[in-house]
Amino acid sequence: MEYYAQLLLNGIIAGSIYALFAVGLTMVYGVFRFINFAHGELIAWGAYLALFFTRSPFYLPIYFAALPALLITALIGLAQDRFVFEPLRHGNRITLLIASIGLSYFLRNAIRLIWGSDLQTYGFMPTRGIDLAGLSITSAQITMMAAAILFLGILYIILAHTMLGKSLRAVADNMTLAQIMGITIKKVSLAVWVLASFFSAVGGVLLAVDTNLEPMMGLTNLLKAFAAVLLGGAGNVWGALLGGLIIGVAENLSVAFISPGYKDFISFALIILMLLFRPKGIFGILGGVR
Amino acid sequence: MLKIDNVTKSFGGLMAVNDVSFQLDDTGITGLVGPNGSGKTTLFHLITGFYKLDRGQIHFKDKRISGLAPHVISRMGLVRTFQQTRVLPFLSALENLMAASPGQTGERLSSVFFQPGRVKLEENNNRERAMQILGLLKLKSLDQHLAGRLSFGQQKLLELGRVLMARPKMILLDEPTAGINPTLIRQLVDVIRKLARKGIQVFLIEHNMPLVAEICEKVFVMDSGSLIFSGTPSETRQNPRVIEAYLGREDYGA
Amino acid sequence: MDYLLHIFIVSLIYAIFAMSLNLELGFTGLYNFGHVAFFGIGAYTSALLSLAGHPVTLGMVCSMIVSGGMGALLAIPALRLTGDYFGIATLSFGEITRLFFLNERWLTKGPMGLPGIPRPTWIGEGVAGLPWFLIFCMLLTLVVFILTRHLTRSPFGRALKVVREDEYVAQALGKNALSFKIRAVTVGSILAGLAGSLWAHYISYISPADFTLTETILVLLCVVLGGRGTNWGPILGAFVIIFFQEIIRFLPIPADFDRFVAPIQGMVYGAVLIILMLKRPEGLLQEYKE
Repeated sequence: MEYYAQLLLNGIIAGSIYALFAVGLTMVYGVFRFINFAHGELIAWGAYLALFFTRSPFYLPIYFAALPALLITALIGLAQDRFVFEPLRHGNRITLLIASIGLSYFLRNAIRLIWGSDLQTYGFMPTRGIDLAGLSITSAQITMMAAAILFLGILYIILAHTMLGKSLRAVADNMTLAQIMGITIKKVSLAVWVLASFFSAVGGVLLAVDTNLEPMMGLTNLLKAFAAVLLGGAGNVWGALLGGLIIGVAENLSVAFISPGYKDFISFALIILMLLFRPKGIFGILGGVR
Repeated sequence: MLKIDNVTKSFGGLMAVNDVSFQLDDTGITGLVGPNGSGKTTLFHLITGFYKLDRGQIHFKDKRISGLAPHVISRMGLVRTFQQTRVLPFLSALENLMAASPGQTGERLSSVFFQPGRVKLEENNNRERAMQILGLLKLKSLDQHLAGRLSFGQQKLLELGRVLMARPKMILLDEPTAGINPTLIRQLVDVIRKLARKGIQVFLIEHNMPLVAEICEKVFVMDSGSLIFSGTPSETRQNPRVIEAYLGREDYGA
Repeated sequence: MDYLLHIFIVSLIYAIFAMSLNLELGFTGLYNFGHVAFFGIGAYTSALLSLAGHPVTLGMVCSMIVSGGMGALLAIPALRLTGDYFGIATLSFGEITRLFFLNERWLTKGPMGLPGIPRPTWIGEGVAGLPWFLIFCMLLTLVVFILTRHLTRSPFGRALKVVREDEYVAQALGKNALSFKIRAVTVGSILAGLAGSLWAHYISYISPADFTLTETILVLLCVVLGGRGTNWGPILGAFVIIFFQEIIRFLPIPADFDRFVAPIQGMVYGAVLIILMLKRPEGLLQEYKE
């Protein structure tokens, strides 16, 4: 029993990070109606940039190193839109998607060029878990949980209580209606890219604190974010949060039943199951024929 | 020919089509009018299978078509156009028409490789028929042009031609004359009338009331998702409920 | 000289691979971002059968059957929705297939890979057999070219284009869009399987590392650069890309910089994809005449 409880705990920790990844992806989908295949690279870039600032010549502690890393990742997000997606937004859809997968490949290889292909860590000593009601949890995991909850809280406040959040959700709901309401798309699109990159980078750093950094981390986690987005219904922010949690828990519980090598298989299986049975997500609404 | 019973469709809380029933017999050209947002296009989507009905049944030539996939309904001879013109932009005008030919042997993988003679013969016939239709639409000289490069009006004509090519028994036209110039409207009307004379049933959504009065033998009027009136064009124009439906909207500046 | 033969053979294999993707991407408008999976399935099927002592020809036929079958199996659920979902499902499928190759050691020997895959016996051993293998590849490329050209110029090919241009119109005209897409993916997967099988028998050693997103990007680039929806485009694209890729080996690169070569290559591929989409999305050869 405790074994399962432990897996559940690990799942919630991982899931709260996937939620951070998924929120950005689903916001971009909601507003621009396209899946950004380069979203995963924002995760990886966030993590690697933080690594960069913990090393020579900066030697910042990770908490401080994360700050410039988040800002630069947000700039990368904005640059993605400004130089690639915006010029292509009104053209052929397939052009946009090919560009986004090209962009992801470009960014991933840039990481390999700068930081190499080997596994890296932020250099924390692996600590023994603290015993908590029979469950083991490391201090890094506690920090992660706290940070994830903090940032999800911030996100909640932004979306639910600020003018920006309201217009953002309005646009995600209905672009034309939002335009009639006088919400400037420029501002919203800026906000979406900043938020999406910012939260992906936060998730990336947190994930790297617990595990490690490798150039492929963007792709691996992109697939999880996809699954979370599909679970929640594409474009649905709350759905994506919940979807992320579900993926995290499902993945970690699966370790009890299948080989750990197939942990990533869970998100794929969920993607296919969702596409087959609940294409609109658990509570999403998708448009049909115009 | 087309029988609609108690058809209902809602989106979220919004009743787009509310308990609509009517029957279309062999009346040639029939109009469907109503203010914007009254559910006309939704009804077309429901008839042609692009939307699933919440309740009700639709029969075409005594066969139930509600619940069938759009392509199956189309193959039964009930073919539609779309409100926004949808030509296939990177195919030539000729290919746009040829693609619409129904039941092509050459669309089966095995036939492409094992019955090339038959496929070729069919293609020649289809090309000939497509050229005839292009002639009818006065587009013959543009046959090799990409459809996306044609003018808006020509695209509308091409779309009508494509429907013809599909050998329909009944066609549903969603605002066929919207946004095109008066000369082309005349040309389009001529084509539509020719079809009706050939025995193809025409059912069209149209906002141009004088045009409806001119060509339709019967008119159905929808408002807020319900069918509020049916009759001849002149009866329609005098009906107080119809007038109210239109004026009521105008009060709101729509 | 032998090296030139090698480049030609690889180019031809990629030409077949690219033609198979073009059928889906170019003619049907399906964004298959996991096409490498079918290349890999073909390679492993053929390799395993011939290593078990069966004739190479049987391996090649079976690889086409297995790849085609898997393609249909994936396409049926993944194509039920339009939009970007097929991209997600295929990208995940590509990753999952790699995981399968990596984890099912009993079958694939995992990361060790499969060495010693034989060439067709009538072709001859080692370098002596290269010219014959080249001729064999040329013949197959020619056959695939003629078949796909015949297919894409037929009413079937035209119907694929109708589906690509506008799925709703296809349905309104009585065409079962889903069925056309499934058939396109199935034929595409069969041909990708053939290319994979040729690859395995030519290279004689395969491992999961040969079937990553990199190969998908490479083949995507071949199709997009050459010209989507044209019959010559993928062949032209394959020759340009493979020559570019292989020519780099002749550049006098200092040993210290060796590790930078692959990432820079990757960045160039990504950048070329983006620039193509921005500046010349139709590629070198254009499908339609102005």
